[in-house]
Amino acid sequence: MIAQYVADGVVSGALVGLGAIGLTLTYAVLGFANFAQGEFLTWGAYFALALLSGTGLGHAAALPPFAFGWPLLLVLPAAVALTGGLAVALDHVLFRPLRRRAGPMGLVIASFGASLALANLVVLLFGPKPRYFSRAIAFAIPVAPGVRLTADRMLVVALALLAMAALHLLLTRSRLGLAMRASAENPALAAVYGVDAEGVRRASWWIGGGMSALAGVLLGQTEQIQPLMGADLLLSLFAAAILGGIGSAGGAFVGGLVVGLAEALSVPLLGAAYRPAAAFLVLFAVLMLRPTGLFGERP
Amino acid sequence: MSVLLAVSGLVAGYEPGLPILRGVSLTLGEGGIVALIGPNGAGKSTLIKAIAGQVPRFAGAVSLAGRDLAGTPTHRLGALGLGYVPQVANVFARLTVAENLVLAAAALPGPARRAAVAAQYAAFPDLASRARLPAGRLSGGQRQMLALARALLASPRVLLLDEPSAGLAPAVVSTVFARLRAIAAGGVAILLVEQNVGAALALATRALVLVGGRIAREDAAAALAADPGLADLFLGRAA
Ligand SMILES: Nc1ncnc2c1ncn2[C@@H]1O[C@H](COP(=O)(O)OP(=O)(O)OP(=O)(O)O)[C@@H](O)[C@H]1O
Ligand SMILES: [Mg+2]
Repeated sequence: MIAQYVADGVVSGALVGLGAIGLTLTYAVLGFANFAQGEFLTWGAYFALALLSGTGLGHAAALPPFAFGWPLLLVLPAAVALTGGLAVALDHVLFRPLRRRAGPMGLVIASFGASLALANLVVLLFGPKPRYFSRAIAFAIPVAPGVRLTADRMLVVALALLAMAALHLLLTRSRLGLAMRASAENPALAAVYGVDAEGVRRASWWIGGGMSALAGVLLGQTEQIQPLMGADLLLSLFAAAILGGIGSAGGAFVGGLVVGLAEALSVPLLGAAYRPAAAFLVLFAVLMLRPTGLFGERP
Repeated sequence: MSVLLAVSGLVAGYEPGLPILRGVSLTLGEGGIVALIGPNGAGKSTLIKAIAGQVPRFAGAVSLAGRDLAGTPTHRLGALGLGYVPQVANVFARLTVAENLVLAAAALPGPARRAAVAAQYAAFPDLASRARLPAGRLSGGQRQMLALARALLASPRVLLLDEPSAGLAPAVVSTVFARLRAIAAGGVAILLVEQNVGAALALATRALVLVGGRIAREDAAAALAADPGLADLFLGRAA
């Protein structure tokens, strides 16, 4: 019984973790909390949906044991790229002009406005009703004593881990990752070292938007697609990013897992009514013990 | 002597309408060490930052080997031959020594990058043995060495150094200064800000005294060192 809650918590936590990476990267490199991060999940899912229906591929048969057909795998990278592009475009028209004039608070308020605009644009374009990638029914498979998961949800965890490993390699091994970590520590010094700050910002938006889009598509496949799917997750994303130590990508992912587990386990332990508060109880407890989060840099 | 760095009529500061530098001109030639001295708050760091594109320039011009630097962002200056070591926070504390060097050499192709980093390790053995240590855990002297090695990686023709000896033990200062002398002997032009006026004048060929954002005096280093009026100049009294 508890084992099933743990498994469910890991699946939803992996999605929260993927979504929170963008939040933490934006904070580290651009220095503000982006309230529109949730909308990148939403837009990722709707980009995939639009591509599926636009190309007429949405009706392909499911690929057993999964409840989706091969076209979803085809449009997934496109949706990730489009959402990364959306994040870069949003930076270009909104955040970049503001960076020169407004402080971090101005950027936060602007992101709040962007969040509302992006969510409403989805309603305008796709309607308010929930949508689905496919009507196929996902069957839960026993994976351990007392634990049943659909193949789709197992794939969520596998893809999330894969994306996380790729991001870790990028941040630790590549020149871009080095430049991103340097810019997060001291942007002015990064320029002295020859780092183009604008390029690093652009890369952060691509990665953060893309990771969120991946989470959005996977969430859309395992739950449903609806205009507030990302906004509904925003508080969990913040909890995960802060829990992991703001600015740490790996921390945000682990933070997401902790949040997912806390939310899932709160149901049998505290009662379903406490589920929305569970992440904050954990957040509160961790920050009391470690004010910089689990993996945050000590000041 | 060919002019590598030319600054003329430079007016610069942090806020529009509040210039810190009020018309500064100077030139730097191949292989010369020019000491920039002056009281605290005179604008020495501001002058170096304005040359490096980190402080807005309101008027005047800066050119590097004949090329006007107007509009050139800081991150391109290294490739053009300008190296700059800030006074404080001049290395990334959270990156390792090796990562600091690799990042600074990132524009070079693979083999050249490795060779450049290896050359700095050979020149600064203390860094080589600490390659995997976060720079934040280096001693003050080692950190200055790393900052200097980082700036040298790109083979600059002009080097702007803001108090490279600050906080170092006298023995370490003489090591750093010996390195600077060797670097200058290789043809690099160095603009050196120093609090230790005596040591700076002993090292430099020429010296500029900056007071209140203006060059109050420019002379051969030896002549300034012998001038009993230098202290008055520092205190803002007429020379
Ligand atoms: N970031 C900043 N914003 C606004 N004003 C500044 C800033 N940095 C320095 N100043 C001002 O500019 C003036 C010159 O400062 P600067 O750091 O250039 O002096 P300095 O000659 O390098 O002094 P020191 O010998 O103490 O390093 C000072 O009055 C200082 O208050
Ligand atoms: Mg200074």
